[in-house]
Amino acid sequence: MACCSMVAAGSAKAALQVAEVLEAIVSRCVGPEGRQVLCTKPTGEVLLSRDGGRLLEVLHLEHPIARMIVACVSSHLKKTGDGAKTFIIYLCHLLRGLHAITDREKNSLISENIQTHGRHWKNCCQWKFLSQALLTFQTQILDCIMDQYLSRHFLSIFSLSDKERTLCRGSLELLLEAYFCGKVGRNNHKFISKLMCDYFFKCTTYKSETSVFELVDDYFVELNVGVTGLPVSDSRILAGLVLHRDFSVYCPADGDIRTVIVTGTVQPVFSTTGSELILNSEAQFQTSQFWILERTKAIMKHLQSQNVKLLLSSVKQPDSVIYYAGLNGISVVECLSSQEVSLLQRIIGLSPFVIPQASSQCEISNAALVKFCKPLFLRSKRYVHLGLISTCAFVPHCIVFCGPVQGLIQQHEDALHGAFKMLRQLFEDLDLNYVTQISDQNDTSRPVIYGDSKESNQLPETGNGSIQRPHQDTIGKNKNELENTQTCIPCSTPKLTSADTLQTDETLRCLSSEKDRIVDDYEPLLESNSTTNSITENTRIEIYENLQVTKVAGRGSMLPVRYKLYKMCTSQSYCSSSMPAGCVLPVGGNFEILLHYYLLNYAKKCQPSEARVSVIIANALLGIPKILYKPRKGIYSFPQIYIRTLRALKTSQPMVSSQTGLESVIGKYQLLTSVLQCLTKILTIDLVISVKRQPHKAYDQDSEDEL
Amino acid sequence: MSRFEAKKPSLCTSEPLMSEGVRATLSVLKGIVTSCYGPSGRLKQLHNGLGGYVCTSSQSSALLHHLSVTHPVLKILTTSVQNHVSCFSDCGLFTAILCCNLIENVQRIALTPTTVISLNKHLLSLCTSYLKSEACGCRIPVDFSRTQVLLCLVRSILTSKPACMLTRKEIDHISALILQAFLLTIPENINDHIILGTSIIVPLKGQRVVDSTVLPGILIEVSEVQLTRLLPAKKSGALKVAVFCTTLSGDVSDTGEGTVVVSYGISLENAVLDQLINLGRQLVSDHIDLVLCQKVIHPSLKQFLSVHRVIAIDRIGVTLMAPLSKVTATICSLLLCNRNDTIWDELKLTCQTALHVLQLTIKEPWVLLGGGCTETHLAAYIRHKTHNEPESILKDGEYTQTELLLIAEAFCRALESVAGSLEHDGGEILTDMKYGHFWSVQADAPSVVNWPDLFSQCGCGLYNSQEEFSWSFLRSTHHPFVPQTCLPHEAVGSASNLTVDCLTAKLSGLQAAVETASLILDLSYVIEDKN
Repeated sequence: MACCSMVAAGSAKAALQVAEVLEAIVSRCVGPEGRQVLCTKPTGEVLLSRDGGRLLEVLHLEHPIARMIVACVSSHLKKTGDGAKTFIIYLCHLLRGLHAITDREKNSLISENIQTHGRHWKNCCQWKFLSQALLTFQTQILDCIMDQYLSRHFLSIFSLSDKERTLCRGSLELLLEAYFCGKVGRNNHKFISKLMCDYFFKCTTYKSETSVFELVDDYFVELNVGVTGLPVSDSRILAGLVLHRDFSVYCPADGDIRTVIVTGTVQPVFSTTGSELILNSEAQFQTSQFWILERTKAIMKHLQSQNVKLLLSSVKQPDSVIYYAGLNGISVVECLSSQEVSLLQRIIGLSPFVIPQASSQCEISNAALVKFCKPLFLRSKRYVHLGLISTCAFVPHCIVFCGPVQGLIQQHEDALHGAFKMLRQLFEDLDLNYVTQISDQNDTSRPVIYGDSKESNQLPETGNGSIQRPHQDTIGKNKNELENTQTCIPCSTPKLTSADTLQTDETLRCLSSEKDRIVDDYEPLLESNSTTNSITENTRIEIYENLQVTKVAGRGSMLPVRYKLYKMCTSQSYCSSSMPAGCVLPVGGNFEILLHYYLLNYAKKCQPSEARVSVIIANALLGIPKILYKPRKGIYSFPQIYIRTLRALKTSQPMVSSQTGLESVIGKYQLLTSVLQCLTKILTIDLVISVKRQPHKAYDQDSEDEL
Repeated sequence: MSRFEAKKPSLCTSEPLMSEGVRATLSVLKGIVTSCYGPSGRLKQLHNGLGGYVCTSSQSSALLHHLSVTHPVLKILTTSVQNHVSCFSDCGLFTAILCCNLIENVQRIALTPTTVISLNKHLLSLCTSYLKSEACGCRIPVDFSRTQVLLCLVRSILTSKPACMLTRKEIDHISALILQAFLLTIPENINDHIILGTSIIVPLKGQRVVDSTVLPGILIEVSEVQLTRLLPAKKSGALKVAVFCTTLSGDVSDTGEGTVVVSYGISLENAVLDQLINLGRQLVSDHIDLVLCQKVIHPSLKQFLSVHRVIAIDRIGVTLMAPLSKVTATICSLLLCNRNDTIWDELKLTCQTALHVLQLTIKEPWVLLGGGCTETHLAAYIRHKTHNEPESILKDGEYTQTELLLIAEAFCRALESVAGSLEHDGGEILTDMKYGHFWSVQADAPSVVNWPDLFSQCGCGLYNSQEEFSWSFLRSTHHPFVPQTCLPHEAVGSASNLTVDCLTAKLSGLQAAVETASLILDLSYVIEDKN
């Protein structure tokens, strides 16, 4: 029997409560002054963490909204490796901003006694429209602001010379130091960031960063070793690869060592699967065993004659193989994990050696050379240390992490893994696509900018099917089809349709039908706008307060607009631009204050209904710098920094940052996008129904799949 | 069928160090480790209420292994100490006490954890660079051509473990044996890098400690029946040995994944046994005198071999197999005698520690002055440095001099209280204002006119009180002074009975203590998974 109970408060209110609790926890771990959290597992292990994602995960939150938030954060982290704590803080501030507005609306307007239930549904309606507005902002306006205003402030971690981009160590150090500031303990962050920097430069060859990031990200566990009981400062980088096991047989050898990988037993098996072996006499049994032994001996001899000195095996080999290997001077490492085998294959480009069934003494073609292979002692444990000769862009190196307790080592490993994810993303270009229209062209009150970015192809789920954006991710993605897309613009619908089949009549029909529907959908929004006029006035006063200090920055900024690949298409209203790889900004809330400033400027120029969302976001952005500057006093306090930055922007002077360190712009952009998507999701939920029944098992579906 | 259950939410506690409960447990732990420290430390008897093994010890590894710590903050501390001990064997209590002291002292100061952590790190690096520098006034180089310092090192370790219950004479005997055993593991031909051999500690319970001895080679336990059979087989000259690591039990080996159909009347076991006997014949014809097998030898094969006067010993086990298979390595056996099982365990642990510490000393051939002198000297050095040359730390402008002095005082006090923990009988502790060494006065000393009359030597035994020192109580306020650095060579040469500690272990213990204290002080939340 299902037992339902309604949670009266809409999800937005619940979400705010949840987010505020989470904020209280994560805000203590944010930034350079952030502190550690100790997590225990049911098994008794202890883990130290400042990683927001990890903290949210170990809290095992019960509230459905909280779980949804955690799911959003973890999907964001999977992609970017950074920003979980900032995610929560943004979200919390956004929700607070939304509440402030709606509370005011309630006070001024809903003074007449509507039944509480009715009010609830009305509120939900309002939330839904807000969520639509947020979605519009995220998908359409953000790119434009980034491209047209923010980009002029971007710096690059690359130094450009003759069209060649080179990564200078200094910039990378600044970037990593700032990153690790928020991830590891204060006494270790400099050391860890130097370790990471060294590792990066040792592993990469010229212009190979991206593939290296991929490999390190995929095989991070195999590329490091943890040693407890030693001070953190003993952590170091080793050339080559360390396998997390000992030799079964070790025969010291000099010079380059010829190596083969096997995935089965070298010794022929007595009987194979599916076959039947009939023994008629004891002698027969003895002979067959003798033959197997002789065969093993022959194979190992053959390997030796081919100068193979190292046998890597993914399975356990029988004693006889180990014995003959020892006799023939072949070192053996057994029981490699499949991950280790595939990493080896990727680094040295070696495919497994197939043991010949017949006794033909063929040449062994798939063997690779290893510079050295020796046992490595770390504390009292023994490992195999291989000097691989790489055939790919990755120059194999391993990190040995030392620390007093495993929990700390784990933290450092996680932080480095996250840093690789962050760099991986930073080294990619980000496409910014949006459509601008001159606002006096027609009288629509719709957003005048359409946007789409490559990264936002993960569609947010809307609560009900009335608003469909299924074509969003195809717009402008294919630049050849831009011409086609533009033909749609004169229709002045807020929606653009799929560019796949634009030339057909069908699309046009589809377009027109959708147009109708959308007009329908927007009617309630207009209605609500008209009823909330008085409030928007309130907000505007706020805006003016802010803007009195700021005014508008001149377009002719003196700051260099760097590396901007700005492209205007034939129609002046369509912009396809991209944010080049390696864009960074100084740390300390620069991104947030800049975006805040430009959003307020933008809000001033557009309709009040749109301005509302922009203002909420702009103000929420300040949440991070406020926390970062909280322990600072005097001229480094937040209000002082804020006023100084805005003054600098107004007068087009370079901004002065009190902190050294850089942060990835794409990371911040992604984060904001993810937060807005999450918020959209939250706002579209109008009711939380708790079902007090054991959840169904998903067995049925699985078994169907198997069949 | 797996149970499908929603996970319980975790318990989240903020500012764990502010809680009275945590502070109380921390001070209990501190009490335990402090009372065990040093030669006059008190012993702890650990036993499970449900019965079983009783352990009497004052060593950190034994204590922490048996203690069950539940609070996560304490678990961090104990795990850290245990990890240190498993790497370096020595200085576990030092690490634990210092860590507790640092946490406790810092909590009294109203400074943010970030400031404390950063400054502690600076102070730690001051310490480590001083201890590694040539100017260091509390370390002695180890001359491997003479046994003097090495013997002091081993003797100091034995003395600091009162649960071994050794008399002075026994300590001398065991120290000599340990050093002898260690020297036997050093190979004669030394190339670029030394691979040390193994020394195996063999229990001989029921005999006097002074009957302990060292033998080169490996001892394998054999039953008396076997032994009597072996004796006539004894012959002059070298024995020819065959070593097997596979089983010779006659089991039918893995037949693969297919089906094996055996006709009626055919016994695979017999077939295998036939092969074993063939092997035996081969061994006999190869004139093998001794067969050693890691696993089990089939009784028939054993019988066959014994008939042919071949000694067969099976079930040697993997621990002995490793040194056995390294024929070229140097191996020795230390036969350790004691009449009491519990004390034997403690003695064995102590011997292992001493052997390990000697190995560490080969890599870093220095020892630190023991008996509390290094701690007090180091504290004096840090105090002097932070008072007179604070610029190196304050150059970033992140901290004020007051903050530095506060933290430095807490740090030095923590070090001095470790030294102070050596005194368990209510005695008074003083430091001299020249070398910064540790001097203790017995509690029942008569009220005195002249302090130096009451003690003859400092903690480590390097200096005696004939010199004109000015004195300062360890617990009183200190005036910074410049402790004399650079030990005079002759001072070291003349002293034959010093108390010294392993540099590597102590240095690492110092680092572990500061790092762990920083970790614990940095905690803002504890999230406990209650599933």
